Amino acid sequence: MDMLELRGIDKVYHSRGKPPVQAVCALDMVVEKGEIVALLGSSGCGKTSTLRMIAGFEDVSAGSIALHGRQIHELPPARRKVAMAFEGYSLYPPLTVRENIAFALKSTQLSRADASRRVDEIARLIEIDDILDSYPRAISGGQQQRVSLARALVRDADLYLLDEPMGQLEPQLRAVLRGRIKSLLAERGMTAIFVTHDQTEASALADRIAVMEGGLLQQFASEKELKNRPANLFVASFIGEPPMNLLDADVIRSDGGFRLSIGSGMTFDIGASALSREAARTLGETTKVRIGIRPQKVAVGTGNVPVKVVSNQWLGDQSHVAGDCGGRMLIAVTQGRVAARPGEMVPFALEPRHFHLFGVDGTCIRHAEVS
Amino acid sequence: MARLDINSVSKAFGATRPADGLSLTVESGEIVAVFGPSGSGKTVLLRMIAGMFEPDDGDIQVGGRSIVGAAPERRGIGMAFQNFALFPHMTARDNIASGLRAKAGEVTARVAAISKLLKIEHVLGHTPRELSNGQKQRTALARALIGNPDVLLLDDPLRNVDAKLRYEMRLELPSLLRRGSAAVLYVTQDYREAMAIADRIAVLIDGRFAQIGTPDDIYAQPASVAVARLFGDPTINLAEVTPVAEHGALSVVVAGARTWLGSGVGVAPDGPCWLGVRPDDLVISSTPGDDAIPARILAVTPMYEKAVLLLRLADGTEWLAALPHDAPLGAADDAVFVRFAPDAAMLFDRATGLWIGLSHRRQAA
Amino acid sequence: MEHSSLAGLIFRGVALTLIVLFFMFPIVWIFMMSFQNNDQILRIPPRILFEPTLSNYKALISGQLHTAAGNLQITFMRNLFNSVVLSSAAVALALLLGVPAAYAFARFKFRLGETIAFTLLSFRFAPPLLVLLPLSLYYQELGLNDTYFGIVWVYQLIALPLILWIVRGYFEDISPDIEHAYRLAGHSWWEAFTRIAVPLAGPGIAAAGLLSFIFCWNNFVFALILASADKQPVTVGALAFVTASGIQYGQIAAAIVLSVTPTLLLALYAQRYLVEGLSLGAVKG
Repeated sequence: MDMLELRGIDKVYHSRGKPPVQAVCALDMVVEKGEIVALLGSSGCGKTSTLRMIAGFEDVSAGSIALHGRQIHELPPARRKVAMAFEGYSLYPPLTVRENIAFALKSTQLSRADASRRVDEIARLIEIDDILDSYPRAISGGQQQRVSLARALVRDADLYLLDEPMGQLEPQLRAVLRGRIKSLLAERGMTAIFVTHDQTEASALADRIAVMEGGLLQQFASEKELKNRPANLFVASFIGEPPMNLLDADVIRSDGGFRLSIGSGMTFDIGASALSREAARTLGETTKVRIGIRPQKVAVGTGNVPVKVVSNQWLGDQSHVAGDCGGRMLIAVTQGRVAARPGEMVPFALEPRHFHLFGVDGTCIRHAEVS
Repeated sequence: MARLDINSVSKAFGATRPADGLSLTVESGEIVAVFGPSGSGKTVLLRMIAGMFEPDDGDIQVGGRSIVGAAPERRGIGMAFQNFALFPHMTARDNIASGLRAKAGEVTARVAAISKLLKIEHVLGHTPRELSNGQKQRTALARALIGNPDVLLLDDPLRNVDAKLRYEMRLELPSLLRRGSAAVLYVTQDYREAMAIADRIAVLIDGRFAQIGTPDDIYAQPASVAVARLFGDPTINLAEVTPVAEHGALSVVVAGARTWLGSGVGVAPDGPCWLGVRPDDLVISSTPGDDAIPARILAVTPMYEKAVLLLRLADGTEWLAALPHDAPLGAADDAVFVRFAPDAAMLFDRATGLWIGLSHRRQAA
Repeated sequence: MEHSSLAGLIFRGVALTLIVLFFMFPIVWIFMMSFQNNDQILRIPPRILFEPTLSNYKALISGQLHTAAGNLQITFMRNLFNSVVLSSAAVALALLLGVPAAYAFARFKFRLGETIAFTLLSFRFAPPLLVLLPLSLYYQELGLNDTYFGIVWVYQLIALPLILWIVRGYFEDISPDIEHAYRLAGHSWWEAFTRIAVPLAGPGIAAAGLLSFIFCWNNFVFALILASADKQPVTVGALAFVTASGIQYGQIAAAIVLSVTPTLLLALYAQRYLVEGLSLGAVKG
């Protein structure tokens, strides 16, 4: 069932003496009941404006918002049945942590005992049960963020809006809390939208991720889909850490397929059988493409692309090897350790089946094969 | 070039002691990361070396000569700040050249050389407010590097730049910092950054060095539970165990399942311990067994190329497992069985949290 | 949320106009008075249209005041000169002393620091009349009565606290790391102060200097008691227009216009710095 429906949303900011700024442009999005959706993008991409329009803190310049079948974009925030956790926490300083969380339940018909039980429950879940009687100024930033999260999640709402919900959390707690919150949302069938600039957080928590840039929705899909079938060059290079390696290549027709030349005599052959009919046709009409290959798909120590090692860093669970290939930086990520010292020449293996191909305008021509 | 010696340095502000008997030597040409949670005293240490305030106790030497009490400008120190601290009324060029006392021609040549290295030649004429955060950070680095100081201090220099730039700089920084063979002290709150950039890491917790060693040593054999929890994402799993020695081999029971740790522990521990196993070292399967811990999957949270599972073990403990994406996963609410490789386990004393033994995962560099 | 509705715009326009009228009316009225003679000014009802005369300005500049009771010598130009000398000297001295002091209060925590800073500010709380009697006695004892030096000194009571408190705030807004960075680049404390701290606090120093100049210029009581005719500033000199044959409103208006003009020009000129000062604060971070 559709829970939230955004149709043709525009947001234009007018400030005197400056040209109007279009923060969000023709945004269409449908969120299903029980789904967790991340709005992901760098600062200024329009994700926060979108969240604030859903919450009712900003007017929509055009378009409509429907929640649970009700048109809400002209209602005041308090009547939209949404709960929100703010990036700046906005806890009430004169109230204790417990009172801050319970405050969200004041307007409900809950009995005192029920309310206090719910506060205790959520507090245990996000590990603030030991600071329930402290005041906001006496607790750390990470704890304040958790209280703000608890205050939003304890409410009964049609939709939960979370603005950068975990940015300040202590790194040691982050993975566990992500898991617990995801399990809580799933168990209670809560629908949530959260804004983040951190793709780790987005992929960990969200069922689907909306990648935004320049006010435009670039792609709205699951984490796997974003990674395996990015809609365009922007999404491809934005998603994934470290970012995808990109190489400019000339396209040469060869018998039975295409030959991609990246200079210095290095070429890769792609057979026509590995291409869809449409991809083959597009490739046939173009002379230049960009090859994208994920660092995790680059093998070190074998292959025919010689690189000069720039750095080789072991992070405990994986190695990141950066190599210079004719002035371009290639990065390989391997699970094990690699014996390569900076300055040495080692071969990298780039296999055409792992290539994503993009046109010079950033449109996607072909996705890598999923192994 | 000279090495940096920090000898039992202490500093107190009222009741807090951000430095409590710190000792550390950084050789010329070596990069040592000072890593710890926020508020552990990292910045205070750096500021004592830079001369912004003096230690209450102990000595700091550069090249065997004490610098305690010397004016900051006489210490031969270059520093990059977390907030960049560029001079807002000067161009990037003047910012970089501010520390040089040389003929105009030489200044121009050296500014040109360092800005080429840091790829900021095209913005030298801009004032800081016209620079992006990444350019500001590179300008600040250029300013710290240009004088070829004996000691380079970097106070979390990548904190305020975006993830992509931070990653690029993480690859470039080691070779940049080694150029002038200065003794480099690099403060960071990100364990990956510390492991990637540093030759050695000094783990600072509550004003004391909990461990000083190579990234490998610390990751594989952390000196305490607190150190183990700081390294690794997701965080290390812990369980309360009391190891039992039988037939010369050691075993632990976690949530009813017994795992044999082998005999390579060295000292046989007696009494209660913490068992530590990194999420990467867990194996998930659907086949039960005496050595398999029954568990339920609470949630699946993908992280880059790994899937992180939040598990509830049979005894209620929560553990995290990080699996390769292509491994068979399972979904939330599935019942699974968890095993771990004996040589990946770590044992810590329950009372003190200090290291006892195991984890032979350390590899020769 | 933005208010861009038509009603909002109209309301804002009307409100702004009313405020401008309220504040500008006295200034405009005085300006008009300065071109009228006493008869025109005292006419009931007053008129907006009149035959302008320059006689008021002539009288001020020539120093000859013609009244019904006969000719009077006035020293208005001398007073104006005194005002300029006294106010400039007072502000210059206050900047010289106040800026380093403000820096010290902003950067260094020392015993009684806050107390001293607050005591300096509290000079502004006490009514000047309270200190005038003892002050004039001391001044007579010390021979400072009726000297430029003495008046400049007493003007420090006005200018110094103002400069200290405004400039201190600006120094506190500069990240100490910027100065640390300059010192680590091989510069002494003094160089960091003069080349980093002072230029960065420049807009604040300009604003504080301007404000204290205006306060000094407008001071009346100190100069009334401590200065005689040839050291008097304009504020006191204007008393001369209250003559035996009545109050010379036209000349008073002209005198006001002449004495307000320098500070007004200075304020308009320094506006640039004030705005710059504000925007510098906005982009920092």
